Amino acid sequence: MTDYLQLSGVGKTFGNFTALDEIDLNIKKGEFVTFLGPSGSGKTTTLMIIAGFEAATRGTITIEGQSLAGLAPQERNIGIVFQNYALFPHKTAIENVYFPLQMRGVKKAEGLRKADEMLALVGLDGFAHRFPKELSGGQQQRVALARALVFEPDLLLLDEPLGALDKNLREQMQIEIKRIQKRLGVTTIFVTHDQSEAMSMSDRVVVFSNGKIEQAAPPLDIYHRPASRFVADFIGESNLLEATITGPGQADCHTLGQVQFLPDPAKTLGIGQAVTLLIRPEHFKLSCAEKPDRMNATIIIDTIVNYGDNALVIGHKDTTQIRMRVPGADVVILKEGDPCHICWTDDAIFVLDR
Amino acid sequence: MDRFLRWTGTAIVLFIAAPLLIVVPMSFSTSASLQFPPPGYWLGYYAQYFTDPVWLWPTANSLIIATATTILTMALVVPATFALVRHKFWGKSAANLMMMMPMAVPHIVMAVGYYSYFGALGLVHSHLGVILAHTCLSVPITFLVLSANLKGFDTTLERAARSLGASQRQTFWHVTLPILRPGLLISALFAFIQSFDETVVAIFISGRGAETLPRRMFDSIRQEADPVIAVISTLLFGAVFLGLIAPHAWRFTRRLIKKDSQ
Repeated sequence: MTDYLQLSGVGKTFGNFTALDEIDLNIKKGEFVTFLGPSGSGKTTTLMIIAGFEAATRGTITIEGQSLAGLAPQERNIGIVFQNYALFPHKTAIENVYFPLQMRGVKKAEGLRKADEMLALVGLDGFAHRFPKELSGGQQQRVALARALVFEPDLLLLDEPLGALDKNLREQMQIEIKRIQKRLGVTTIFVTHDQSEAMSMSDRVVVFSNGKIEQAAPPLDIYHRPASRFVADFIGESNLLEATITGPGQADCHTLGQVQFLPDPAKTLGIGQAVTLLIRPEHFKLSCAEKPDRMNATIIIDTIVNYGDNALVIGHKDTTQIRMRVPGADVVILKEGDPCHICWTDDAIFVLDR
Repeated sequence: MDRFLRWTGTAIVLFIAAPLLIVVPMSFSTSASLQFPPPGYWLGYYAQYFTDPVWLWPTANSLIIATATTILTMALVVPATFALVRHKFWGKSAANLMMMMPMAVPHIVMAVGYYSYFGALGLVHSHLGVILAHTCLSVPITFLVLSANLKGFDTTLERAARSLGASQRQTFWHVTLPILRPGLLISALFAFIQSFDETVVAIFISGRGAETLPRRMFDSIRQEADPVIAVISTLLFGAVFLGLIAPHAWRFTRRLIKKDSQ
């Protein structure tokens, strides 16, 4: 499959401030890509440049080889769902959905029929003649989605669309958006600062930081094989431990001592090189006694946060904090202030060389 | 304490409403001058108001001047408000201040100014002169109402319209204008009332040629205290009252019709 949307060297500066620093990104047709990053990282700026509301200072954007340069927002055929939905308050749900067709000169009878079908697709039959203020947040969200999709856009952009919804509704809408996107096969860019949203919905996650792309990869790769210390730290919970390489698949960790890891053939690590080891909290196991067949350490427990099905245990070894996720049943034997044995295997360690 | 507050409140409301309560019966009075309580009741002064050119001409003048003032004010203030609320430009705060100036300067000062200035231009005693002066006085209140409305307008709606395929012009006609319509209507109404109600400047410059209703009423009360003044006051009061309840009545009937059709 060839690349559908291409961003090459796209950058944006405001005076001396660099909002976006030469982004390169290729997106395939039908792909669901999430832009994830802290606020001010450049993800929304990139979205607004693609939509045509902000001009890039340099670089080019193409859809199917056609440059978007010089096209006004209304000439780009891109559907956008805004953070606050931006429904027209003086129009009913169906009039909102009909609006883009009206602007394209579609006859009223045909346009309303299409709008009605799209409302049915997003699960809003029977709400066509309500005004936005007569609809709940989730329903308004669906109308906004229907409106952005009814004119068969080349691209769908979602700008933190779930931010205003409560947790249950948010999960329900995640599944809905994914279902509709698959059904229509529309290429989609979803902007969020919520990592669980990014993980659960995307084919690919693009992590932004300081106007740069840190990593663009499928969700599981982002989690288990982060490209940088920033990504490892930003996505999920992590223990990041300083270490020095002592041989192939071996390192001297300043906190945990000598450790073995599975060497990555793609990475060349020299002996004596300073690296960071990533161990996710759920990869530590608690043990009553030291296990001779595994790597071990003894830590002092500082805090136990119980969530029922699991618990977060925060302890320390020397001056370094260690975080662990353990099954809820395991914490009954633990007491704050007590020492505790932990163990892990060589595949739990991921080596970060930058 | 509670009872004291309630009685004080009622007394204050009565004191404020008293002129209205007195003016209405006086308009039906048979007395030759303004007198309360009226010695008898008839509709003669109503008949006089609706037939006597001494009253009809000023009424027509006032309506013409207020309508023209409204149109001119809106033509100036709408673009100015968009510029001042949405854009940054050199001299913006000075422009903002100038918009509010006529509200800060006492009307009597403005009136004296217009009297000599328009005299030199030959605009005294003309409709045009009064319209121009009233437009100037209407600008601040219209600008205040409209800019409050425009500041509350979510520009994301315009972005949404653009992304959905609307040109800038279509966005204005289909989205911006309909959403701002209530604010526009209210500010236009304020301009109209400001002009219709204005007396000080009108006394100085409207003269015989463009005599407005407030000016005619002022002249009348100084000379003969004609009860027609009470008639006009009652009619204006009635118009305002209707204007206040009309939207509610309209909404109420629409709801009834909606219920019927369901």
